[in-house]
Amino acid sequence: MAEKITAYRFDRLDQILSQLNKEDCAIIAGGTDVMVLHKSRRGVPPKIPKPIVFIDHLSELKQVYQNHKDLHIGSCCTYSELLEHPFIPIPLKNAIKTIAAPAIRNRGTLGGNICNASPAGDTLPLLYVYNAKLLLRSVNGDRMVSISDFIQGPRRIQRLQNEILAEIILPSVLEEDAYVVFEKVGNRNADAIAKVSFAGYIRINGARIDDVRFVFGAVGPTMVRSFDIEKKLLGKTIPLADADILQVVAAFDKIIKPIDDQRSTALYRKTVALNLLRYFLNMKQYQPN
Amino acid sequence: MPALKNESKGVAAMNLKDISTSVPKKDHSGKVSGQLAYISDVKLENMVFGVLYRSPIAYGKIISIQLPNLPEGYEAVGAEQIPGPNYVKIIKEDQPIFANEWVNYIGEPILMLVGKDLNILYGLLDEVNIEFEEHQAIYTLDEAIKQKSTSGVNMASYEFGESLEIISAIEQGAHQIIEEEYDTGYQEHVYLEPQGMLGIYKEDEIEVQGSMQCLYYIKNALLNALACGDDEVRVVQSPTGGGFGGKEEFPSMMACHVAVAAKAVKKSVMLVFDRSEDMVVTTKRHPAKLKHRTALDKEGNILSMCVDIFLDGGANVGLSSVVLQRALINSAGVYNIPHFHAKGYVLKTNTVPNGAFRGFGAPQSFAGIESHMGHLSKLANIDPLEYKRKYLVKQGDPTITKGKFRDPILMEDMIMDLLNATQYKKKKGEFHRFNQQNQRFKKGIGTSLFLHGCGFTGSGERDHIKATVKLVKSKDGKVSLKISNSDMGQGILTTLSKIVAKELNLPYEQILYPYPDTKEVPDSGPTVASRTTMIVGKLLERAAKKLKDQWQIGVEQEVIEHYVHREMIPWDEKTFTGDAYPAYSWGVNFVEVEVDTLTGNVKLERVYGNYEVGKVIDDRIMKGQIDGGLAQGLAFGYLEKMTSKQGRIQQKSISDYGPPTSLDVVPIESKVFDNPYADGPYGAKGAGELTLIGGAPAVQAAIEDALQTSFRQIPITPEVIIESLWMKEGEEG
Amino acid sequence: MIKFTLNGKRVETDAPATVRLLDLLRDEFELIGTKEGCGEGECGACSVFVNKLLQNSCLIPIGSIDGTDIQTIEGIMETEQFKILDESYSIAGGVQCGYCIPGMVMASAALLSKNPHPSEADIREGISGNLCRCTGYNMIVDAINLAAKKGDGLWQRK
Repeated sequence: MAEKITAYRFDRLDQILSQLNKEDCAIIAGGTDVMVLHKSRRGVPPKIPKPIVFIDHLSELKQVYQNHKDLHIGSCCTYSELLEHPFIPIPLKNAIKTIAAPAIRNRGTLGGNICNASPAGDTLPLLYVYNAKLLLRSVNGDRMVSISDFIQGPRRIQRLQNEILAEIILPSVLEEDAYVVFEKVGNRNADAIAKVSFAGYIRINGARIDDVRFVFGAVGPTMVRSFDIEKKLLGKTIPLADADILQVVAAFDKIIKPIDDQRSTALYRKTVALNLLRYFLNMKQYQPN
Repeated sequence: MPALKNESKGVAAMNLKDISTSVPKKDHSGKVSGQLAYISDVKLENMVFGVLYRSPIAYGKIISIQLPNLPEGYEAVGAEQIPGPNYVKIIKEDQPIFANEWVNYIGEPILMLVGKDLNILYGLLDEVNIEFEEHQAIYTLDEAIKQKSTSGVNMASYEFGESLEIISAIEQGAHQIIEEEYDTGYQEHVYLEPQGMLGIYKEDEIEVQGSMQCLYYIKNALLNALACGDDEVRVVQSPTGGGFGGKEEFPSMMACHVAVAAKAVKKSVMLVFDRSEDMVVTTKRHPAKLKHRTALDKEGNILSMCVDIFLDGGANVGLSSVVLQRALINSAGVYNIPHFHAKGYVLKTNTVPNGAFRGFGAPQSFAGIESHMGHLSKLANIDPLEYKRKYLVKQGDPTITKGKFRDPILMEDMIMDLLNATQYKKKKGEFHRFNQQNQRFKKGIGTSLFLHGCGFTGSGERDHIKATVKLVKSKDGKVSLKISNSDMGQGILTTLSKIVAKELNLPYEQILYPYPDTKEVPDSGPTVASRTTMIVGKLLERAAKKLKDQWQIGVEQEVIEHYVHREMIPWDEKTFTGDAYPAYSWGVNFVEVEVDTLTGNVKLERVYGNYEVGKVIDDRIMKGQIDGGLAQGLAFGYLEKMTSKQGRIQQKSISDYGPPTSLDVVPIESKVFDNPYADGPYGAKGAGELTLIGGAPAVQAAIEDALQTSFRQIPITPEVIIESLWMKEGEEG
Repeated sequence: MIKFTLNGKRVETDAPATVRLLDLLRDEFELIGTKEGCGEGECGACSVFVNKLLQNSCLIPIGSIDGTDIQTIEGIMETEQFKILDESYSIAGGVQCGYCIPGMVMASAALLSKNPHPSEADIREGISGNLCRCTGYNMIVDAINLAAKKGDGLWQRK
């Protein structure tokens, strides 16, 4: 009673795009999320309900290059490949190092982490803080979408059936004058799903804040960010006044609404998220990475 | 196989000056190459797989069972196929093999489907339709405590010690009475090899192979279930990938499943658990609630103490009565406490039945008493270790069950050694200053003092186990150990062989220890209770001595030794008095931590352990027990958390549960002190469980020192720490 | 047909593309050294090399290994590097129940090939995806450290 499985493994991207245009497929790169999501019990293959397109071998999707000050990262770059690549910003490498363990990092891809759209995705807070743009490619051409528009909820992304995530673009990331930090809080030091994560970005001009961004992970269905709160800090001097810090923390207190689950509690998540934020805001100086 | 360089040069006679000197392990090659076959590596002709249909509800009656149409070659096996009575023979008759009237927990097996293709089996399982009449379940220990007088809820209870009248009188004259309630959580074994059993069908015999600790527990359960003759059932231990108690009594039910199925369908049946299945339905460490009530004088000295222990037994009693016994026997820790009274209960909840786990009730008790003593020391304004030392038992002291600590106790030596090694006083001062200057990180150092009674509790060895060992010498001078004990990683294939080799003055390579087979070996007892080296090893030592005296070259010989009980103060279970154990092993842990007050995360900085186990049979193997046991014990205190909600275990994956990875542990600085015990082989006592016990109390004490806060539960997870800091801030702010 | 190299031999299979590499190795090729501990990529007992990279075979659908070079513990058993690891694990006492060990050995070999002189932190990082419940890891770390020293010069060769 073997179920018929249709699987494609094309050598070229255009062949893949052509197939995606014909039918709704499950795209598998490293597979470390898909194989767990559709996992069967032991001894039986995962039940993937659509025809499968394997893409992890495509060198076309593994290119990392600079374009002006923007960094372009191929969606099928594995975490290990990114860790070895000189163009990848240190904070992003630090975030990648917190993902699972070496064997998973040898397979999992940046594109996979994005398309899996887990509320606790480890690369997501930084990608949001970098204002990442996603290049979606199809037979109809290219479409750019911001990561915050692309990810709409847990495991829900705005990818049309015939599109593939081809590149992740970090605009202006190669301008090196921002201080960026990522903190992941898990239940142990490896192979842990984030209970709370925080990415902070700050660019100072003289002593004044030119640009500041905060993103929280694992405390909501998707990343939590507020442009309104960020705007309030523009132009303020470093170190920040206590009143300003209190205001920002209080503002986030209102919008961070985590849940209780088998890994942690809402109270813990919120308290620690705000602790990390407060710690970031209380720093006396911010040296660019 | 690549040849192994014999590091210890024991190729000639076992010339080890000292038995403790390490030798290459007997099972090394097969394990390193991966070619040693565990049960799930076995494939037989005409073998089918079994999958279990499990109760989706926590408590209720089975009204009707509707099976789907089963294709050719697929069959259902349930209670009707059991030749004997429908219960797993452990202690009481309350655990069905296949539940067919009442179900008592989510996950309880009701029937098994067997067939060749797992995919088809899983599909058929989804089509099984069982109608239940759901009844109100008891989900938590707290609920069960409220209902402990209701029939069926109290599964076992004991009480002993000082009379309550005397304690009442003392309390009336006391300066202060301190009452504390303390909770300990689940612990899941997470042996790397999930549970697995194979029932092999033969016309005249059913053979069961699998991952197990207790060969004869399984055989006896099978004899009962199959209602057959002694020679119609055979049990063989497969290489076992970890046990820790999780494969002590649990496998008996699986063995019954595959044996009943094999007999019914006349094919061999393989039952192997998924990890998520294993996480959710197998036995776990009993969650416990401990109440300590202590009367103090003005200086904070203890005048009397009452301890109440409540264990969450889950839905079947299993071995819980014995777990409770050990918990109660250890309820005063290593202390000589005046006017001590204890009572305990195992209560039934409609949750997964709980069972043996390394320590067997002692870890909960020690966590409780060490926590309580630490808190009392704060009231007396004395350093916790100083306070605890005042009450340390001495050689000759009575135990709380009116037994006696007969042998020398080296605790003071072990404590002094660590006070020195850690520079304890100086370090405390350094940490205190660091904490005053550092907002975010706090450092602390904590200690634990503990023991473990070696051997089966009470009169078990004498009355129930009655161990027998056999040595068989072949014509060419090879000697085989015929015993029923399982190597599950703790190294007895090696250590017991060493004992026999040294006694016979033969090369270690000439001693054979095949995997136990009931057709070949007598019942030398289960591989539990830290008894194997001390009790079985001693029997083997005696048998080897006998064989040496009778040795004839070129002749096949056999020697049998039976357990001889050295009567001390006889154990009486009714009055709960006497010598509960023939001997005790002892330990001291010092742990240094750093707590991140921003996230509540605890980082181990330095971990020390001093142990006294009589005599070490193999240095490396002992070190392995220290490192592994202490890692588990520490994690029990702050890292591993399992919860049950409405009767359902919430952590289905290893990462959700959180046992330590290589990045979560630090090197352990350990020393073992010699103190030979007359009735142990070469002076050895038990070590397997001791090393786990000190971990949780020491890490709790260290966290309390760092945060200057008291905790009343383990695991002290980051959630618990953050909540406590948050509440502290609320009080101060 | 899915074609790949397995332990140096060219092989092929007509098993469906979603079959896990772990099951293919154990069932079709009868290689038992690669074990299942969790089925979710969290324990490392199923570790193999894919194009010389350490990966968890329980998460690999065979459709994606077409044309790749797969090595299991059986494939490295005859090498000098394995012999050094074998000895080192014995001397350091790193083996207890053994179930995690084939995966640990694969992870050890992968680590030392990339980093022949690892620090203790590097070693712990290298085996952070391999769960061990028996040893508490320290004697395994010692084993790898010992193997690095014993096999000095050998690891870079791979």
